Amino acid sequence: MEQKTKIEWHWGKYRWIVLGLIILSVIASRIFAPIRPEIQLPAESLTAHPLISLPVIGDIYLTNTLVAMMLVDLFVVGIALVVRSAVRRDNLVPTGAYGAIEALVETIYELTESTTGAKWAKKIFPYFFSITLVVLIANWMELIPGVDSIGLLVPGPEGNPIQQFGPINALVKGETDAGSYALVPFVRTLSTDLNFTLALAMFSVVMTQVYGVQSQGMKYFTKFWNTKTLFSKPAFGVMDWVVGLLELVSEFAKIISFTFRLFGNIFAGSVLLFVIGALVPVFAQSAFLGLELFTGAIQAFVFGMLTMVFMAQAVQGHDFEDEEN
Amino acid sequence: MTGDIVLAAKLIGAGLAMIGTIGAGIGIGMVVNGAVQGMARNPDAIGNLQTNMILGIAFAEAVAIYCLVIALIILFVF
Repeated sequence: MEQKTKIEWHWGKYRWIVLGLIILSVIASRIFAPIRPEIQLPAESLTAHPLISLPVIGDIYLTNTLVAMMLVDLFVVGIALVVRSAVRRDNLVPTGAYGAIEALVETIYELTESTTGAKWAKKIFPYFFSITLVVLIANWMELIPGVDSIGLLVPGPEGNPIQQFGPINALVKGETDAGSYALVPFVRTLSTDLNFTLALAMFSVVMTQVYGVQSQGMKYFTKFWNTKTLFSKPAFGVMDWVVGLLELVSEFAKIISFTFRLFGNIFAGSVLLFVIGALVPVFAQSAFLGLELFTGAIQAFVFGMLTMVFMAQAVQGHDFEDEEN
Repeated sequence: MTGDIVLAAKLIGAGLAMIGTIGAGIGIGMVVNGAVQGMARNPDAIGNLQTNMILGIAFAEAVAIYCLVIALIILFVF
């Protein structure tokens, strides 16, 4: 089908705003040169005293990733309230934010059903979708300006001096003897905290085992301690037994792999954003923000999807393959 | 003098740790090769193949990310 009239191509009307911002950033980076970022692996605590001191577990501090987690939780509860009010209104045609969420839920439910079969999809789908949604929001929070850049200025052995702009203190480049300060951000991307990714990974793997036991009973553990053919066919039996033990090791490898996949991707992405922002202060970070958007979405989806696939394998067992649908 | 050697060793170590990403590059290339060939043979299965391709890419990339994590740990923790 050919179009009789060509659609005219218009410049976007925001091009002047973008040009103005680029010129502004060139001027600003000439006056205040960007400082080298200080990158820290563990999450930093915002207060000197711990929040609570539990007797066995120890001190619990208010870290900046804990603040991020509270924001993520508020956002997810907000989405839930939006969905609830839209379901109450009960329009025939869903529109707006609720329509987007319904499309997402539908896509993911179809995917779950095609892998797990209809019977277990209802039980496995909540894990897939919750993990995907929480990790997606946690990953996309690093794109908001202000996250990782607004925070407390803490005096330390090596850092940058402070200059005051009205009510705001900012780190500037240079060496003075006035003291060196480092930045502790108020909000730090949640997925850059190993505690979060480790907890999510353990949660995912442990629930996989629970579903395996729920579907197959205690015979599920013969996956790991496989002595079924040990005496009937000795050579293959021993091999099957060793393979069973390797499956056990592979469960722990799954925990480690889940943890480090999410952590490594998002931490490397945030380090990349800091460093590129410091090296080329004009416009170069925008391309990497796009990359981080894509990577954050893919990592969230992959975490959820791998959880779903492992749960599907656990409930179906070794002997029979995927059901035809 | 000793401090500089430690810094130099850290930087060399981080650089050497990243050599492992060669394997991930080759692996991802092989996964996408298989997926694209399958899509060319059977365009009806494109949706199915795309999902499994993304899964395969994530697994292969995870190994490269382990190398990156080791490099970052060497640089910023030690």
